[in-house]
Amino acid sequence: MNILGPDSLVFGVDDVAACIQFFTDYGLTPVGVSESGGCFEAVDGTSIVIARREDPSLPAPMETGTMLRKTIYGVADRQTLNAIADELGRDREVKRLPDGSIEAMDDLGFVLGFQLSVRRKIDVPGEAVNAPGSPPGRAPNILGAKADAEHRPLTLSHVVYFVPDQAKAARFYTDRLGFRCTDRFTDAGSFLQPAGTLDHHTLFLIQTPAFMKGVEHFTFHLSGPTAVLQCGSRLVAKGYQSFWGPGRHKFGSNWFWYFNSPVGCHVEYDADMDLHDDTWVAREAPMQVDESQIFLFQHREKWAPGGPPPAGQAR
Amino acid sequence: MRTYLCRLEELADGKARGFDPAGTSRNAMFVVRRGDQVRGWRDACPHVDGAPLAWRKDAYLSADGRSIVCYGHGAVFDIETGVCTQGPCLGQSLTPVVLEHDEEGALWIASPDAAE
Repeated sequence: MNILGPDSLVFGVDDVAACIQFFTDYGLTPVGVSESGGCFEAVDGTSIVIARREDPSLPAPMETGTMLRKTIYGVADRQTLNAIADELGRDREVKRLPDGSIEAMDDLGFVLGFQLSVRRKIDVPGEAVNAPGSPPGRAPNILGAKADAEHRPLTLSHVVYFVPDQAKAARFYTDRLGFRCTDRFTDAGSFLQPAGTLDHHTLFLIQTPAFMKGVEHFTFHLSGPTAVLQCGSRLVAKGYQSFWGPGRHKFGSNWFWYFNSPVGCHVEYDADMDLHDDTWVAREAPMQVDESQIFLFQHREKWAPGGPPPAGQAR
Repeated sequence: MRTYLCRLEELADGKARGFDPAGTSRNAMFVVRRGDQVRGWRDACPHVDGAPLAWRKDAYLSADGRSIVCYGHGAVFDIETGVCTQGPCLGQSLTPVVLEHDEEGALWIASPDAAE
């Protein structure tokens, strides 16, 4: 099944104004946004959709209070859409919505949508580096770092769920929707890749108690590590709360920086994820922090060598 | 030794504010004022050791101002007791920071370890 990855995540929230502020500052483009919510788009048209928690157009909420109401996958063609409808229609209700998309629930109660993908071509160059011995990544006189550089989220990369039975949840995606498991934490988490992308994962499932079920984080790909560090630094400067990062993951090799958010889950910037094809053999490791980060920086307020530390900084 | 935070009238009624008494460039604790009552809590979610709660500077409360919320994973805490009533640390509690205010209206941390 030619599923490309998540096109959109739909949230029902308590504080629409806070979400508008957050996702605008994060770098997404507001489309049709009003005081009742709206859409926030990346460069390729993938998006976050915000509505009021009680909005009757949203699927019913989960009992845990998670604000994620629906994950909408983009598929390559109508045959894939029909194949998904046939497959899931064997044992559950599949709704056909007026916009041509379909809607069904996974085996753990997450509402899924499937639509012909909205993804547009991305016309933004990736980060280019110069390294001795290699051809120049940038031509002479092309600068690599600019204080006012514009970095926009390029595409919705992945979403991570807390689930009470990650093995069962993973089987639904692999057996019914054609995802592959690229790596796993023993009895604790599965990284899953749909057939229409080579990205290390677009879905990661983490084993937790049932009362935690919901979304853990999601992220958009940026053009490279510089964009992750520069965008994250700008969020910190605006008073947003860093949770974890910046750093680089082991599984997937992606750079990361996680922030708290008014949609009640972490929102990440990421860049430079590994690609895998079907010759890849999934690795397995115990679930512990050393297995999830190659290195980690912690944000500190501005410091420059040569001068005294800023007032109030020293301990 | 007690640590000075601020004057009571600098705290808006029904709002929260983060403080960094140890100068670590992070908010180690926060206070919530409701009328004349001010309660203090460590800025650390019981779900993930040391995880800060707010999504932005001083944004520790729900949209309606009736609960404390961790914007890491959506845990909701009773604003009076600090007990988690919904979310990933259900039944666990925030760590209180004991406060006192003097007759001149200055607010202090009474517990010595609160600045850690």
